[in-house]
Amino acid sequence: MTREEIFDTVREIFRDVFDDEELDVVDSTNADDIEDWDSLNHINLVSAIEKACDIRFALGELQALKDVGEMITLIEQKSNG
Amino acid sequence: MDDLPPMLRHAFADLSVGMQAEFTRRISSEDLEMFRRFSGDDNPLHCDAGYARERGFPDRVVYGMLTASYFSTLVGMYLPGENALFHGLQVDFVKPVFPGDTLSVHGKVVAVDERFQRIEIRGTIRNQEGSKVCRAKIFAGVTDGA
Repeated sequence: MTREEIFDTVREIFRDVFDDEELDVVDSTNADDIEDWDSLNHINLVSAIEKACDIRFALGELQALKDVGEMITLIEQKSNG
Repeated sequence: MDDLPPMLRHAFADLSVGMQAEFTRRISSEDLEMFRRFSGDDNPLHCDAGYARERGFPDRVVYGMLTASYFSTLVGMYLPGENALFHGLQVDFVKPVFPGDTLSVHGKVVAVDERFQRIEIRGTIRNQEGSKVCRAKIFAGVTDGA
């Protein structure tokens, strides 16, 4: 998957999890930008991304992520590695 | 009120895919009345048998959320029991339940996520005829026991 394809997939997952078709997701988006991005929805996001991209994150990898851009980079590494 | 089996205290490490739990509850008219009082839901479908019959039901319809409350019992008492922290559920009410029905509440662990100490349970509630009346995907965290 290209970075753009991964971004499209992740953006759709964000819109689905947060039930907002207009949600704008960019590299710098983080949990401070989305009110409902709480600990439970974080698990929902991770689970949906893992399923869609056929990957699995380690807990340490997730804890190190600062924003969506870093998440996309990690997905890119895992899905193409 | 029916007696329930004693509460279990599974630790996260004890849980695995395929673990199951089940208990039975009979829904009484008093249960509906108690639910009406604490929820404030006075919809006549649940309170007025004549009204319910006019709409094609043989009796008052039990509140769906009363039926679903047994998923709280399932998680908080048995899967995993005392160490549970209910995260959420997606529930469907697939058939009506009536006062006097005896419900069998069943849960099966279908996923265990060690990263988040969380389990996913498939919940099913059947009536005394074996018909499925409610189903749910349930998510529960498992805290470390004292």
